[in-house]
Amino acid sequence: MDVEALLRKLDDDAPCAPTATGYWAAWPDLDVRAMARLMRENVVRLVTITAVPEAGDALRIIYHWDADGELLNLSTTVMSGHVPTISDIVPGADWVEREIHDYYGLEFDGRSTTPPLMLREGDPPGLFARTRQQGNEADPARTAHAAIAVEEGEPR
Amino acid sequence: MSPVVPIGPFHPALEEPYKVEVTCEGERITDASVVVGFNFRGIEWLAERKSYTQDIALLERVCGICSNVHTLMFSRAVEKIAGLEVPDRAQYIRVVIAEAERLHSHLLWAGVACNLIGFETLFMTCFSLREQVMDILERISGNRVNYAMNRPGGVNRDISDPGAVLAAVRTIEKTTSGKLIPIMTGDPTVRARCAGVGVLSRDDALAHGAVGPLARASGLTQDIRRSAPYEAYDKLDFDVPVRDEGDVLARIVVRASEILQSCRLIEQAVETMPAGPIGGPLYPSVPAGEASVRVEAPRGEVFYYLASDGTDVPVRVRVRTPTFVNMPTVPLMAVGESISDLPLIQASIDPCYSCNDR
Repeated sequence: MDVEALLRKLDDDAPCAPTATGYWAAWPDLDVRAMARLMRENVVRLVTITAVPEAGDALRIIYHWDADGELLNLSTTVMSGHVPTISDIVPGADWVEREIHDYYGLEFDGRSTTPPLMLREGDPPGLFARTRQQGNEADPARTAHAAIAVEEGEPR
Repeated sequence: MSPVVPIGPFHPALEEPYKVEVTCEGERITDASVVVGFNFRGIEWLAERKSYTQDIALLERVCGICSNVHTLMFSRAVEKIAGLEVPDRAQYIRVVIAEAERLHSHLLWAGVACNLIGFETLFMTCFSLREQVMDILERISGNRVNYAMNRPGGVNRDISDPGAVLAAVRTIEKTTSGKLIPIMTGDPTVRARCAGVGVLSRDDALAHGAVGPLARASGLTQDIRRSAPYEAYDKLDFDVPVRDEGDVLARIVVRASEILQSCRLIEQAVETMPAGPIGGPLYPSVPAGEASVRVEAPRGEVFYYLASDGTDVPVRVRVRTPTFVNMPTVPLMAVGESISDLPLIQASIDPCYSCNDR
């Protein structure tokens, strides 16, 4: 499969060379549904979707695809807490969208329902995001980042 | 009104806690849904709060069967971000451990499947063979479950007695090809229970992103060891067994054939392993960056995404296991089948809820 030609159908300025971990591209205004339709038409498999918290309420959403063994990592940044669903186009996205809703409270617009996957019925979504909002005292990761000084060759 | 039969989350017929809810007309399943999350431990959240060294031990416990895969994935992601080169010998050792893990996983699954079919003597044969694989892993690593073999930049232990590994693998290969495969693929009892049961079409497998032996039994040729080779796989010969039928029997045949391929890979790796170091510095620093990596675990492709900000604690660890994409296909296979075949159908994907729920 000509991965570069495929990516150019999404954007003329798409990256044309793979890195050591596949192709990476980020668009602030990525049309995720158009991307999903393009991938489905070209028999490209959805590997998974990753949500990465960024500064403030921003959430970077990375769609990982497999195109004949090439890994495509295509991302967009969501500020509004909403992104269109692709689960009606790619059924394999159903569980991962529900999981991201569980962890980060991201709403996937267009779904009839988003039942919890890892959480139980009635649990509020956004389990991981809530810990983050509670600040450094409630989040050992932030204090760990600041407190541990290590040097090359030392246990980390 | 059609009866709805809830099975689980805690039920004698289920090895792990999950729930299958089936609607039936008589004994025929007309609808099915799967509920998971009963094993949810928040491992991704935990991994983003522990150091890289602590994460190796944590992620090894994502799964009790494919534990080695998770430390391999995390190590590979760190290696990509830090630009670490893995010595050739360590790459071969990683292949040996990964294939031994596939052997014990497939033999465990084959034993469980035989038990569900009601074939007790074959169950004993499978578990007897699996015990020999566990002995190999214990001989190399000192452990039977969590082997603690991988670290960023290499492996922790060398293979000091390659002759013993080869002898055990050849015994497994001989018994598998002479006894296990002929019975599992030709016995009338097995065929009656498995042929034409729980069919997953190629299109459905692709649309749901199914991976591993499940996908390969539905006609998809994907195998990360072949399509995106890692470690020493590109230097070794092996076949990727594929079947088109998409039924339970096809999954049995694919896994049984993969047992022979794993034996073949271990033999080649042990015989052609170069001499040399097995790892670099024990505690390499990890600069800011991100990586996504994949390997072919016994149940199929595992995916990790790792992001670092240059400190000793990763900012994001994402783990996608094969069961997470394979399990949603169970309702597709179950509808139209008899409820008595449901345990075998769900077991035929070799589900791991510990992996799935993390």
